Amino acid sequence: MVEPRSSPERVDVNIEGVSKTFITASKAVQALAPITLNIARGSFIALIGPSGCGKTTLLRIIAGLEKQDEGAVLIRGQEPEAFRSGGELGIVFQDPVLLPWRSVRRNIALPLQILGQSVNAQERRMVDLIELVGLGGYAKSLPGQLSGGMRQRVAIARALVTDPSILLLDEPFAALDQILRRTMNLELQRIWMARQTTALMVTHSIDEAVFLADKVVVMHSGPGRIADTVTVPFARPRAHDLFVTPEFHALCDRLAIALDSGAGQR
Amino acid sequence: MSEKLRVVFWLAVTLLAWEALGRWSPWGYDVISTPTRIAAQYWRDAVLYEPHIAATVRSALLGFLIGNAFAIVAALLFCRFPSFEAIFRGINIALFAMPPIVIGPILILILTGDWPQIILAALMVYFPTMAAMLVGLHDIDPRLIDVVHLYGGKEFALTRFVRLRSSLPSLLAGLRVAASLAVLGAILGEFGSGVRWGLGTFLLGSLGEANPARLWGISLAAAALAMIGYGAFDWIGARVGGATTAVTLAAARLPDQIAGHSRDSLTRRTLLLIAAIALPFVLWEVLLLATRLSPIIAPGPLQTLEYLFVGPDAANERQIMLQALAETLPIAGLGLVAGLAAAFVLAALSILRPSLVRALLPAALVLQSTPLIAMVPIILLIFGRGVMASIVMAVLVVFFPAFVLLAQGFALVPRAARELVQVYGGGPLKQLALVSIPFAVRYLYVAAKLVAPRALLGVMVAEWLLSGVGLGNLLNVSRGTLDYGMIWAGALISILISIAAYQSVGVVERLVRSTAMV
Repeated sequence: MVEPRSSPERVDVNIEGVSKTFITASKAVQALAPITLNIARGSFIALIGPSGCGKTTLLRIIAGLEKQDEGAVLIRGQEPEAFRSGGELGIVFQDPVLLPWRSVRRNIALPLQILGQSVNAQERRMVDLIELVGLGGYAKSLPGQLSGGMRQRVAIARALVTDPSILLLDEPFAALDQILRRTMNLELQRIWMARQTTALMVTHSIDEAVFLADKVVVMHSGPGRIADTVTVPFARPRAHDLFVTPEFHALCDRLAIALDSGAGQR
Repeated sequence: MSEKLRVVFWLAVTLLAWEALGRWSPWGYDVISTPTRIAAQYWRDAVLYEPHIAATVRSALLGFLIGNAFAIVAALLFCRFPSFEAIFRGINIALFAMPPIVIGPILILILTGDWPQIILAALMVYFPTMAAMLVGLHDIDPRLIDVVHLYGGKEFALTRFVRLRSSLPSLLAGLRVAASLAVLGAILGEFGSGVRWGLGTFLLGSLGEANPARLWGISLAAAALAMIGYGAFDWIGARVGGATTAVTLAAARLPDQIAGHSRDSLTRRTLLLIAAIALPFVLWEVLLLATRLSPIIAPGPLQTLEYLFVGPDAANERQIMLQALAETLPIAGLGLVAGLAAAFVLAALSILRPSLVRALLPAALVLQSTPLIAMVPIILLIFGRGVMASIVMAVLVVFFPAFVLLAQGFALVPRAARELVQVYGGGPLKQLALVSIPFAVRYLYVAAKLVAPRALLGVMVAEWLLSGVGLGNLLNVSRGTLDYGMIWAGALISILISIAAYQSVGVVERLVRSTAMV
């Protein structure tokens, strides 16, 4: 859970005063005001906020794909670049971003190959993983032969193949329709519970955030900053009937108000 | 099946109509010949064709291999080290814009045997392959870069797992163009090299004979060779998959489409620009030093300028050169404008009559990769050896590639934008005027850059082989009179004019864009 003063061994990600400004040709845009956030081991955190509030930038800084101007990010005491070197981070984007010429199996194996590990030695794990994401029987299919939801499952499996301790999800289901999205939410919860990873998900959808997360972090824009942090009390595993409960709606309404309060400050 | 039947049917109709016209119309025998006469001539010439075709195929193949090997290595280097690409920009633009016919006589001075035509073919295939591959290497989803970086992969892993394979469709589209250019390069090289065998030699020897059936035969054979090469890579491309419209458009790339968007400082950019301009001349000097040729046969850049401006006969040589330019440039300009205008109007009409494009586009796709040499005999037969032949040649080499590009440009007009006009009751003409033409005008600039150098090449080929005037003829005559200075000066001037034509389209484009913004 998000506890600023929690003991170091229970916290996975320490974000301490991280800020970022992008310099374009005409002006400097501050994407992130100094942000401080701690993420507990094994928790599921959702980041929600309007477009341009810096949620994706924050995710990319945690992944070490972007460098912050000030502040520090430590993952289990290490800089992101050092931490991720053994495949300890997995990432899923809004689109699957698969290699269209590689089969499902070979797409999932890509991180292992980049890390220089033998794919054949991990055959058993590959088979299990393909089963876990519900793609048994499709190992040899090409991405072009799969539906959008199935392709996104391949992307999730690729992110999990190195058995990462932290999973970063950047609006992973935004391109899917609402019905498929809810199914995928259920699947993601199942996979996350089976793997015991820490998950950080960026999303635009309030009910997706509430359904999946232990903590929802609300961000405001101009510059991007944390406006509110809301704990989600529902027991796990959560099922689809949660969507119709009054408690669920009450929490969604609260988050909607928290989001709205930042809308005037652009 | 019905599609194939339709093709066979129309082919049969065309052949029958050709045969009938050839037999019974007033210009039958002398101009269009007939399929049966051409076939009979093939039968009689079979013994000749075998060694001629074998020689051309051999030169084209070797040139194809050498040029593409350089192109692929260069694309990989340019992708990995963008400054390298910036330094080589001058060379790349020169190789894109050079009229290859002016390089032939120079290669003959420095090389022997079949090497002039092999190297000419190699020089011609380099740019399209390099540009297509480089665009393919660059054109990847930026998030794949993130994925590779996330697992500690560097540029090498990115190239190995992502860039190489994803550039393949684009590379094959480039090779498709390169295959037909290799044939053209080999034939153009044979014109000047005086080798015994080769379709170029055969054509040169047959232009003076009054034998239309043989000229048609050579023309069709050259076109067929180029099409076989084009078709082979088209077939492989379809197998590999990923052949989209984007890839088809990518088949003909421009130097400024591969130019990297540099974030370098102004000083660094200026230094790179100076290096890019200097490098072709430095390379010219170095090559001459390496070949150890006499400076009389092979002058360097400075001696070539001397020849035109300081030498004992400089005023006279300048006069000859200016005279030739005055004959060539207006025709090339006229051909360029007329060809582009025709292509634009026809492509625009395709919005009103889509069936028109469906009928014309396949033919244009085929004809744009037919070596222009194949058109020479036909133009000779129809238009004779006058100025008209040069104009038609220029229009034809401009029209087909421009039409293919513009038709694809018009096809890219967003449907929603056209339907917006329709919703408010606007007819097809309104759609054209308000949406399609303003949208597609940008492709006119792309087309103009692509074909401007070709217009000059078309006119020079016609002048060399048919009309006996202008710059093309000047180079041919200088070759005969061993006027080495003129060969080099003519080549330098025509390459510079070609580059200037290419760059000035860009200047016009920027001017129009900036006034439109106000």
